[in-house]
Parts: sequence; C-alpha cells; structure tokens
Amino acid sequence: MHVVITGCGRTGRALATRLDAEGDEVTVIELDETAGRGLPARFRGQFVPGNGIHPRVLEAAGIAHAEAFVALTPNDSANIVSARTARDVYRVPHVLARLHDPAHAPVYTELGIATVASVPTTVNRLIQLLHHRTLEPHQTFGNGETLLVRSKVPAYLAGRRVAEFNVPGEIGVVELSRAGHSSIPEPSAALADGDVLSFIVAAASLGRLRSFLGGKWS
Amino acid sequence: MRIIVIGGTGLAEQVASALHRAGDEVTVIDTEPGRESALAQAGLRAVYGDPLVPSVLEAAGTLKADVLVACTRSDEDNLVISLLAKKRFGVPRVIARVNDPASDELFDQAWGVDALVSPATSLVEMIRPESLRRRAWPGSPPLASCPRHPAGRRRRS
Repeated sequence: MHVVITGCGRTGRALATRLDAEGDEVTVIELDETAGRGLPARFRGQFVPGNGIHPRVLEAAGIAHAEAFVALTPNDSANIVSARTARDVYRVPHVLARLHDPAHAPVYTELGIATVASVPTTVNRLIQLLHHRTLEPHQTFGNGETLLVRSKVPAYLAGRRVAEFNVPGEIGVVELSRAGHSSIPEPSAALADGDVLSFIVAAASLGRLRSFLGGKWS
Repeated sequence: MRIIVIGGTGLAEQVASALHRAGDEVTVIDTEPGRESALAQAGLRAVYGDPLVPSVLEAAGTLKADVLVACTRSDEDNLVISLLAKKRFGVPRVIARVNDPASDELFDQAWGVDALVSPATSLVEMIRPESLRRRAWPGSPPLASCPRHPAGRRRRS
C-alpha cells in the first residue's frame, strides 16, 4: 500500500517507520527540510520537503496513486486542506487526519474526514486510569467516548436481572459468560455468582457502572 | 453592506477601517488578542477569537453578512474560513487573501472562494503575465490575465 504522510514530527515519524517496517510504501512530506534526518537509517521510504497543502508537493509525493493519506502536521487547518485535497481532487480512498483543537472538530465532521483527536483520546484514557482502574476496557471506539468492558458479577448481585443494568444511552449488557459458555442474554435473564458480563458503556457513565458493580471488582 | 473582515494587524485592519469610513457595517474577527479596544476606538465592531470555530463566526454575525474577507496570514486558515463562510453560513461573496503564490491554485469555488487577492501574483502579472500558468481547475476565478481576460477584470478581486 502506498501511504502519503504530511508532518514528520514524533507521530509522523513513528507511523512512517512502522508502516515501512510492515512493508508499505511510504512517502513523508514535511515543511522543515532537516526533519527527514529524524527518520531511522533503515527507513526505505521517500522524504519530500515542502508544504503538504500545495498540490505540486502532494503530486511529487505520488498522491495520484496513493491508497492512503494521513495528515499529521501540528496545524489543524493545514491538515484539513491537505486531507480534503487528497480525497476530493486525487481521490485517495483512505484519508485520515489528526485533530489538535477539539473546537475544530465541527469542520472535520462537516467534511466527513475521519480524525484521531489527540486531546480527547488522551483525556479519556487518563480518566480511565485514574478513576476506573477496575474496569479495563477490552475495546474503545471513536476517540474513547464508548468502551467495551468486562466484569465479574459480584456475589451480592446474584439473582438480579440483566435488564437492571441497561441504561439507555449509557450502559448496555451485550454478552454473558457462564461456566465457559458465552451467550447474548435476554433482558429477563437472572444473573448468578461467577458470571462475567460484557458491557458497552459511554465513557461518561463509567462511574455509574462502577457503582452498580460495587467498585471493588476487577 | 454587512461585511466581516478576518485577520490581525495590517491588511485586515486597513481594509476594515476603509470600508467603515465608506459607510459599511464592518465587524472584525481579530486573530490577535488584546486589540479590541484599539479597533473599537476606530469605530469598528471587533471580536477576538478563532475563526475556525463555527460559533465564533456565528457570534460575529456571519449568517447575515453580505461579504466576508478571509485576510489572515495563513493560507490554510483562509481556505478553511472561506469554506465555512460559504457552505455553512451561505455568505454571498467570499474574498480571500493568498499569502504564498504557490497556494494560488487552491483558492477556488471548491473552497467557497469567489475572489482572491494574491499580491505577489498581481505584481508578477503586471510585469510578466506570460510566466503565470493558467489555473488548472474548472470553476476557478481568473488569476492570471490572458488575452481573453483584459487586465481590468482582475480589479474585481
């Protein structure tokens, strides 16, 4: 896969190095001509100095036949301009961008450009580690706004119904494991000591789920 | 006319003041903090904020504006502001400043730009119009004058 990346900072460099090691054909565009020196000696990809918002620079990086484009500069508007150009002018099938200021999110959403938002992702993860250590997520979605967590049912909740955990828009029980067998439980199913439940939960409702579970269970 | 001018010291401020003196209702979205009082003294309505945030544009009255001028020192900011002004707020006339002539070809209808001001290109055009390459994309406002576009036409931008 030919991947074009703008921005050769910590993230751009790490992504380029990793993709290159996995066999992808990588081109990195960066304003600062000296930034290419930060790439490891084993990096086999291309380095193109220039401003990634300019079509000529994107073309020099082979955007016309790229399968993916990732905008990772520290400047949100530069990321928006190059990502939209990559998608709409050069028809690159997979376009991703980094979002720095969450206040700029509406622009990306309106343009339909998928983003990785560093600030909300980091904050959601830190809150998780500070407040909800006992609920380690198996999977996170988006920028950490929704999580899939598993937890053992505490003994004092035996006999309760699955439906009692369901809070529309906040918490939903999606799976039940009992004695090594997994199923999607009916809302009316009664819980037993030793059951393990999988919950889909909004990041903001982790505290509520933890209080349901007594907060002592891992 | 209701006009929104976006930018900091220099061109944005000068354009805003001149239009205000000409009798237009001008609001400046200032991208540099702490100058609201100086602008207010000149009789301009000024708000400080990040013009890439839709709520800032809305608070400045972009929904009712007849003209918006994206006049910051960053080409990428001017492009995104123009796009928001046109697509989200439906501003009838969006004018953008180009700082780096290498960005000229980006400033077109696809970004909501109705007209552009590119000082470097305008100067080159006066001296060596044949050196400017024709704009590549359809729907672009004319940038370089060619025999079919008399030089006077550029004045509208």
